[in-house]
Amino acid sequence: MIRHIKLAGLIAALLVIFLPSFTLAQDVNFSVSPAEIHIDDLPPGEVAEFKLTIHNKEELAHNFTFTTFQPSEEERREGRAEFPDDSWISFPSQEIEVASNSEANVTVTVAIPREQKWAGGDWEIWLGVAAESSDLLAVRLYARLLVSTNPAADARSNAGLVAGIVAGIVLLGCGGYYYFRRKAKFE
Amino acid sequence: MKAVITSIVVAIILALIFSLPALAQDSDAITITMTGVNDISISLDKTQWPLGEVAADTEYMTSPPIEWCTLTVEGNCNVNTFIVGEDAEWIDNPSAYKWTLSSDGTNGDNVYGLQFRISGDTTRGSLGDGYVPITKTEGEFWPYSGGSSLAPEDTKQFGLKLLTPTYFVGGRQMQTQITISAVAA
Repeated sequence: MIRHIKLAGLIAALLVIFLPSFTLAQDVNFSVSPAEIHIDDLPPGEVAEFKLTIHNKEELAHNFTFTTFQPSEEERREGRAEFPDDSWISFPSQEIEVASNSEANVTVTVAIPREQKWAGGDWEIWLGVAAESSDLLAVRLYARLLVSTNPAADARSNAGLVAGIVAGIVLLGCGGYYYFRRKAKFE
Repeated sequence: MKAVITSIVVAIILALIFSLPALAQDSDAITITMTGVNDISISLDKTQWPLGEVAADTEYMTSPPIEWCTLTVEGNCNVNTFIVGEDAEWIDNPSAYKWTLSSDGTNGDNVYGLQFRISGDTTRGSLGDGYVPITKTEGEFWPYSGGSSLAPEDTKQFGLKLLTPTYFVGGRQMQTQITISAVAA
C-alpha cells in the first residue's frame, strides 16, 4: 500500500502543465504589403526610405513587431548575396500598435556606409512582421528587400569634387596673389 | 603679406560658391520599386493546443492528428512557408527553468521534441512517416525540396506531435511558441 502511494506521488511529481496561455489567446489575421521591394542604384553613403503597410484585419487592436532575417542561399532570389549587415536597416520603432480593421505605414530606412567595398552589391534580406501573441502558434510575414548599390561609389565622386575644390583654391589663390602684387607695384 | 591673405580668402570664397551646389546635389537617382500591389498574408484557423498536465517521456498528438489546423493563403501572391520552434519556458520565471527544444524531434532530460505532419504527406521525415522535426532553426513547411509554392486561397492541413522530456521538474506551467512564416515565392 505504502509502495503504491509512493509510486502515485512520484507520477504526480513528474506531471507538469504544458499549457499555452488561454487568457490572451486570439487569432490574428493581418497582411503586409508590398511583398517585395527593389532598391536599385543606391550609392554607398546614401539613404533610401520606403513604406511597409500593415493591415490589421481583426476587430481588436494589435501590436506588431519588426525583425530582419537572413535567408539561406536557396531561398534568395537568383544572383543575390547575403545582405552584409542588418544594422543598416532601421525601423522607426521595434513595434507598432495598429487599430482594429485599419492600416499603418511604417517607414523603413536603408543606409549603406560610404565605402568603396560596398559598391556594385546585389543583396537580399527579409523584413519580418509578426503580431504579438502568447498562443502556441504564431504567424510572421516576410517582405523581400532586394538592394543593389551603384557600381561607382559616391565616395569616389565626392573625392574628385573635393580635389577639384582644392585645385580651384590653389589656382585662384595664385591668380589673386599675382593680381594684387602687380596692382601694388603699379601703385 | 596683405595681398597673400586677401588672395587666399577670395579664392576660398569663390571656390565654395561654385562647389556647394555641386556638393549638395545627389550624384545619382535611386530607384525604389515596389513589386505590383502584392500583399502577403496567411491565416491559421487554430493557434492553441490546451494539453493540460503531461507525463514524462510521453508522446502527445493533436486531434485529429494531421488535420488539426488549416493554413490558408490569404494574400494575392504565391508564398513559400517555413516553421520554427523555441525552448519552452516556465511561465512564472522564464529565465530560471526551461525545456530545450531538440534538433531532431527526440527527447532527453529537460529536452523535448516537436514535430509536424502535413495532411497527405506520408513520405517526409527521417522515418518516412510524414513527421518532420520542428527545430530552433527556420525549416521548410511547404513547399519542400523544390516543390510548388502555395497559391492564393490554397490551404494546407497539418497536425503536431509533442514528446515530453524524459525528466523534468513537475508542477511548473510551461509555455512555448511555434511560428509559421511566409514569404513571396
